[in-house]
Amino acid sequence: MASVESGIRDKGAALEPAPPVAQAAVAGRTHFRRFTAFQRWVHFFIMVSFSTLVLTGMPLKYSDQAWAQRWMGAIGGVQSAGMIHRFAAIIMVSCVICMLGFFARVLIKSKGHFWGPGTMVPDRQDYQDLKAMVGWFVGRRSRPHLQLDRYAYYEKGEFWAASAGVTVMCVTGAILWYPEAAGRYLPGIVINFALVNHSGGALLAMGFVVVFWHFFHAHLRPEAFPMDKAMYAGGLPLEEYAHERPLEYERRVREGTLDEVLVAPVGETRMKVQNVVWWIITGAALFLWAMFSLFVVWVASLWIGSF
Amino acid sequence: MNLRAFLGTSLAMALLTVIVLAAPAGAVEFSLAHGANGRCLDCHAEPDLGTIVVNGERKSLTVDETMWHDSAHSRLDCTACHAGFQPREHTAEETAGWYEQAKLTACSDCHADEFTMYSGSFHGDLVMGENDKRAPSCADCHGSHGIVSPTSPAFRAAVPGMCGRCHGDKESTYLDTYHGKSQTLGGMTTAVCTDCHGSHSILPQSDPASTISSENVAGTCGKCHEHASTKFASFLVHVDRSTPKSSLWVWLMEMSHSVLIGVLFVFGGLHCFLYFYRGLREGLYSRG
Repeated sequence: MASVESGIRDKGAALEPAPPVAQAAVAGRTHFRRFTAFQRWVHFFIMVSFSTLVLTGMPLKYSDQAWAQRWMGAIGGVQSAGMIHRFAAIIMVSCVICMLGFFARVLIKSKGHFWGPGTMVPDRQDYQDLKAMVGWFVGRRSRPHLQLDRYAYYEKGEFWAASAGVTVMCVTGAILWYPEAAGRYLPGIVINFALVNHSGGALLAMGFVVVFWHFFHAHLRPEAFPMDKAMYAGGLPLEEYAHERPLEYERRVREGTLDEVLVAPVGETRMKVQNVVWWIITGAALFLWAMFSLFVVWVASLWIGSF
Repeated sequence: MNLRAFLGTSLAMALLTVIVLAAPAGAVEFSLAHGANGRCLDCHAEPDLGTIVVNGERKSLTVDETMWHDSAHSRLDCTACHAGFQPREHTAEETAGWYEQAKLTACSDCHADEFTMYSGSFHGDLVMGENDKRAPSCADCHGSHGIVSPTSPAFRAAVPGMCGRCHGDKESTYLDTYHGKSQTLGGMTTAVCTDCHGSHSILPQSDPASTISSENVAGTCGKCHEHASTKFASFLVHVDRSTPKSSLWVWLMEMSHSVLIGVLFVFGGLHCFLYFYRGLREGLYSRG
């Protein structure tokens, strides 16, 4: 670990050293539960509805292409794709409502912790982390060991991008679903705006958030490959977690809240079932990622070709 | 046999002959003419019959027999439209002016209402009032030997391309709307050109009687979109997103999306690719 530069997060250096991990894990609860069951289920439904929305929406955006026409035929025509798209949209909006409720609860209960440690708000340290990573990417320095708290810069960036994106998609989607109602209060050009934004926003969501960002960080980044289990299994081995997010670990030890997030590893039978499900989800995710990536390459070539 | 019986029988037979020959004259002519259709096709089903130049346009003299049999007019005689043509090599007298007739006035015998509407329309006025050869008459939209019902899915699906032969810019902007995209993907419920603009009685937007005039456009949208308001109807259907000339605001929004997508794709792509590349080079994926 000598070559790995540590302590680039200044705040971390001033902290008292946390107790060894083996000591912290009490009564067989050796795993760190990063996301609650509620959060994991919301994530699951977002994952399913997002994929469905993309698969039923993209052929409409590229309706002049042969692949779009074949695919639309395969899923039962534009009429049924529209029904499925709206059904998936209802699931997505339900997830958004769940998340809004969750944020409201965090805001009310956190009492000042919103901006504090473990925050989702980007700060100067995130900029330093990104700079260190880019330095490593271009070969100007060795690989940094980011002293992360709860969220890394790439997770914060994605959170805000996805929040802005889902807001735009919900609003424009509602206008396109009920154009007559929109036209009662707003000028007709708003429907034109909604079309442009829904279509452009979909490509952004799929290309940036999914292909280049979320899928990459959750599945293909070397530390996570082939899948980051935090969102799936509920519990990560404490050593692993403490290594990846030392600041959150140390903070929880200091505050005495580590106990809240410790869970026992799952039993052997459940682990076997989980492994099967895990491979199915990972396989599907990597397959979709490959498909979406090819698609983005194709879109880029279309775009370059248009000059 | 007496004279009265002889005269009576003769008269009855003569009457019967006249009745048989004269009374069902239409039916008899119909069957004869159908025989004549067969005789027309003796020559005109030949694939290499040659071509003829009409109004500077090269037309094939061959009639696709299958297409004809599948068409809505397959029970009509050829001469119903090609009036006066004889089943032999045609003389100049027969063919003089036949094209205009078959294309336009031939239809009005049966479709008088449509013809009247068409006569008062913008297209009809161009053709008949100003003798504009480019403007469409019946056959330009409906075809000739392959006429199908205008309510059939095949006809509806063909409408945008049909209008696009002259109004190409309108076709491409239509195909960029949800109506057009759905239509391209085989959806049968969204509007095609004729649903908004009308068909036989098309009038320019500036004419108050037009389906898309400012007085009527909300009602036209309202045929499908219940509670369509004037504001709703001010939606820009034929907007070209690639140029500020069409709609400055839509173009600006489109451009800002393109820039955002371009910047984020380049940034995200590089971040992701370089992370992957460094990870591979430093053997971070082989930790088992």
